[in-house]
Amino acid sequence: MLRFVVNGRVVETDMHPGTILIDFIREVLNFTGTKEACREGECGACTILVGSLDANGGVSYKSCASCILPIGNVRNCHIVTIEGVNFEKNLNAVQQLIMDNSASQCGFCTPGIVLSLLGFCLNSKKFSYDDAIDSLDGNLCRCTGYASISNAAKGLSEVLREKNSDIEERVNVLVSSSVLPEYFLKIPEMLTDISSVPNGKISKDSVIVAGGTDLFVQKPEQLQEAKLFFISERKDLNYIRQDKTHILIGGAVTVEEFRNSEVVNKYFPAMKDDLLYHSSMILRNRATLAGNIVNASPIGDMTIILLALNALIVIECKRGGTRELALDKFYRGYKKIDLEKCEIIREIKIPIPKGNYYYNFEKVSNRKTLDIAAVNTALLMQVDKNGKIGDLRISAGGVAPVPLVVQNLAQFKGNVLDNNIIRKIVDVVTEQVTPIDDIRGSAKYKKLLLKELVAAHFKSFY
Amino acid sequence: MKNSDVKMHVRGKSIFVDDILPPEGLLHAVLFTSPVSKGKIKRLDVARAKKAEDVAGVFTWKDVPGKNFIGHVVLDDQELFAVENLEYIGQPIAMVVASTKRAAVNACKLIKLEVEELEAVYDPREAYKKRMIHGKKRVLVNGDTEEGFKRCVHIAEGRADCGPQEHFYFETQRSLAIPMEDGAMKVCASVQSPGIFHRHIAEVIGVPMHKVELEIRRLGGGFGGKESTAVWVAASAVAAKILNRPVKMVLSRNEDIATTGKRHPVSFDYKIGLDSKGNILAYDVDLYQHAGACTDISLAVLERSFLHATGSYRIQSVRITAVSCRTNIPPNNAFRGFGVPQAAFGIESALLHAAEVMGVDVNLIKKKNLLRDGDSLPYGMRPEKINAITCWDELDKKCNFEERISAVDEYNRENVDTKRGIAIIPVCFGISFAQTALNQASALVNIYVDGSVSISAGAVEMGQGVNAKIALIAARVFSISTDKVRVDTTNTSRIPNASPTSASTGADLNGMAAKMACEEILKRLKIFVAKRINHDNPEDISINDETVYLKDIKTDYRWEQLIKDAHWDRTDLSCHGYYATPGLYLDREINKGRPFSYYSYGTSVTEVLVDCARGTYDIESIDVVHDVGTSISSAIDKGQVEGAIVQAVGWSTIEQIRYEKNGKVLTGVNAYKIPDIKLCPEKFNVYFLENSSNPFAVCNSKAVGEPPFIHGIGAYFAILHALRSIRKDKLVPSLPLTPEKVFMYIHEC
Repeated sequence: MLRFVVNGRVVETDMHPGTILIDFIREVLNFTGTKEACREGECGACTILVGSLDANGGVSYKSCASCILPIGNVRNCHIVTIEGVNFEKNLNAVQQLIMDNSASQCGFCTPGIVLSLLGFCLNSKKFSYDDAIDSLDGNLCRCTGYASISNAAKGLSEVLREKNSDIEERVNVLVSSSVLPEYFLKIPEMLTDISSVPNGKISKDSVIVAGGTDLFVQKPEQLQEAKLFFISERKDLNYIRQDKTHILIGGAVTVEEFRNSEVVNKYFPAMKDDLLYHSSMILRNRATLAGNIVNASPIGDMTIILLALNALIVIECKRGGTRELALDKFYRGYKKIDLEKCEIIREIKIPIPKGNYYYNFEKVSNRKTLDIAAVNTALLMQVDKNGKIGDLRISAGGVAPVPLVVQNLAQFKGNVLDNNIIRKIVDVVTEQVTPIDDIRGSAKYKKLLLKELVAAHFKSFY
Repeated sequence: MKNSDVKMHVRGKSIFVDDILPPEGLLHAVLFTSPVSKGKIKRLDVARAKKAEDVAGVFTWKDVPGKNFIGHVVLDDQELFAVENLEYIGQPIAMVVASTKRAAVNACKLIKLEVEELEAVYDPREAYKKRMIHGKKRVLVNGDTEEGFKRCVHIAEGRADCGPQEHFYFETQRSLAIPMEDGAMKVCASVQSPGIFHRHIAEVIGVPMHKVELEIRRLGGGFGGKESTAVWVAASAVAAKILNRPVKMVLSRNEDIATTGKRHPVSFDYKIGLDSKGNILAYDVDLYQHAGACTDISLAVLERSFLHATGSYRIQSVRITAVSCRTNIPPNNAFRGFGVPQAAFGIESALLHAAEVMGVDVNLIKKKNLLRDGDSLPYGMRPEKINAITCWDELDKKCNFEERISAVDEYNRENVDTKRGIAIIPVCFGISFAQTALNQASALVNIYVDGSVSISAGAVEMGQGVNAKIALIAARVFSISTDKVRVDTTNTSRIPNASPTSASTGADLNGMAAKMACEEILKRLKIFVAKRINHDNPEDISINDETVYLKDIKTDYRWEQLIKDAHWDRTDLSCHGYYATPGLYLDREINKGRPFSYYSYGTSVTEVLVDCARGTYDIESIDVVHDVGTSISSAIDKGQVEGAIVQAVGWSTIEQIRYEKNGKVLTGVNAYKIPDIKLCPEKFNVYFLENSSNPFAVCNSKAVGEPPFIHGIGAYFAILHALRSIRKDKLVPSLPLTPEKVFMYIHEC
């Protein structure tokens, strides 16, 4: 039995936990305001908010694509559809701004846009315009050309900027500002009341679901009949902290949490912007680092970054024991990984770089945002006081059957970085790649592009 | 005045086809389609599928109660279900109907098909060589090009190609068919052509049209993609007819991308000649339209490309040929612009080439040859009041073209890593269906005794705000609040034989019909008032702000009371208005005539920044002056201009479709990328041409749905401008200019 709150009402269901949330919302609950337009998380028409109790007893809300979200992943959560943010008579502040700016034409994408902007209202630290636009990076619109939507977003950030931006007070502030209906104040209590302890155990035949953002695109039908284990039930894996040598990331941490983590940004300030090129807000809010790793896509942005950072993974074995291995040892061939049945990634460890170091991520895709790369690559390089190269790591995606870590870079240790050395490094990288012609581009393109992107790494420092 | 639906859209309360509360006993239909691009059906076995769990029926062409044809213009050109010949991947062969969609999808997998595969053709030029064409090749000659070229100092000759575009309307193709009493059928569907689809439904289920009611509340986007191909609407009606139960068919996004028509790719061979001063003396162009397996609406699209081949320019002598090539891909269909964007791309490509040959800035040639008052078009029409140059000058005043062009050139001289590009695009777009017969519309205006007004028209609301415009027109005629006016669904029982809502004419035609009906009722009301107060001249009566005036003096007689009294006095408060655009004709033997009522004009300037190392680009700014006449609703018209432009930017840059070797569409939703909010230019200024009026359309307005689309090709030409500043030793890449093509242009030897 699954329980959650939908808008203001507790809902219980015996349906299979792999049932897709949008089907449940539209067909079982008859909330037809949530629209389906792609069923792959590509368009944002189905955006809803998912709220879950946080450590302080408040509720933290994230915008998510409901077309690839299994209901098992929202146990004990508050699900907010467009119907759940309507006031009886007037429009809420977001709706009013969309209306005032004529930021809706056919209307099919509009409910999703309202929900994503509410996600911005609930999460943005300072209500900046850039945050508002970032919140919409997964919401496509085929009619308006976006200028009017941008204007609505701008208006919203201007209205909110005058309000108290304290995140703990956020729901109260939004309720008193006619952004959210009053019932939101009762949700923490409702969620506490329905909270049940998850009883799921992993067994041999379990399919392990993290964010599900790729699994439920690849095989939604099978998953609706399979035995599922949800990583989201492992509340103990939701942390980012550091010890003396590593940044430690729990196996349930999402890409968006990682992107916004103070610890991560302390050592890798570029990460916050780099990961804006990773899928979209409504997907980053669910996709986990561990899921990205296990998915083993040769082009996964997160994996490519973690490989350059020389990440380690801690795998939780059958009987609770753990084993640790370097991420680059995890990949054994196309979509082949060193993970037994019943095993999960418990933790990802990023070594804290020492001394003077450079990190850079490059990605080129057909569309700059919310698109899979043609080629992506990351670099981590230590440079000593005399400008000599120390440890150098370069990873590359889209150019081999596995996410690639470039070998034979140790030979450059001790060299002073100059154009000649850069050219040699580029050559070493290019020799090791074997791209293929596919939907993301021709093999020739990818090879030439990687060359440019590796050179671009070095340009970004000098 | 805004789109009247928006208040419901933002609350998630608007009802689309799939939001209609499921009727009792609803079944779901799924199509089983051709896996090959060309072949013959040898054996089709649906027995196992029929026996599958929850399956209500499996149907093929043998089961169709009426005609098995749904061709748009040429009826027997397209079968609803293939009988023997398969012509494209995705062509319907059978239909499975089950109590859930999943059961229907699963049962589809049990259908056994044996096919003899034949050699398919995917290239329009190859198809042309094999005489695989739709209709006839069109030829339009005006002046003597041979003579013209002799007088030219500069001649450019070459080839240009533009690619397909997926509509990506958010609401995919869908339909809900509900059997009614006495063999009648009600169909709720997401379609742009009430009249034609009404006929198709009646034909396939084998009943007279008066037994079919097609109801259209609104579309989640159409853009032309729901204008002509009737497969999904017809199929669901057939299933409902046979099973006597409600049947719904909803395409998944990937089914929709893989099996529905696209914007027609066109391949051009051009030859353009100019004198020493830059006057275009001759233009010779052959258009090869990539039409796909059935005629569908391709010949109409071809005609519009053909008529617009000279773009916004006056050209002394032209020779234009155009041919619709039959290939083995899903039949391409209408898409916003209807062949005009392709034609504009052709002439702009030729001009750019000519400018390079001459060694001058292309924009000088463009301006020099822009249409001016008194000019006529190759098909003999001389438009009144040509605003091409007015728009150009107006935008020049705002943007200072010369300054911006030289700033770009200077930037490019000083920078290696990034390059800027700029393109100015003029627009001249003929308004009216080129098919004269379609230029008619009707509207039904009812006033109820409480004073509320209901209007039904043949127009279909798909986000373009036609309903809001009609409401506004009616409110103006009666001088009442728009709150009193509601535009009802588009319904074939209220409005018969309605033309498609397309060619940008929705508001022009239907708005005019509604206006005429309102004016007729107003006349009746005035007569009633005059009679009531014993005043002999009804023309002294007027209504202002819901109050009756006599000789411009306010009375205390209010709208509600007036309506109540008028009804009690037996005044007819319902009126059917009918409008047919006057003066249109086109002689297709000689390709001369007056096919369009008037023209829509505009000019835009687009600037881009290209990252040379990565091959990526940003659309930095788009400034536009567009002629919308006297706008009925500036908020709606601005949205149309912005939306059309960004859609065209998508076509010009990142929207590409890849096919497998066997013709299968490889690009699904995860690879077909339409513009997102971050691709939209940060500086995006849309101005309307000031003091523009238009006696040829309702309330002096101008149609706005399609013409601004042309501006968006500026993205292609601006990127190209940046690329040509890097090197000119290569052929110009085709449209769309994807990052891959940009990168390869720069980096490949």
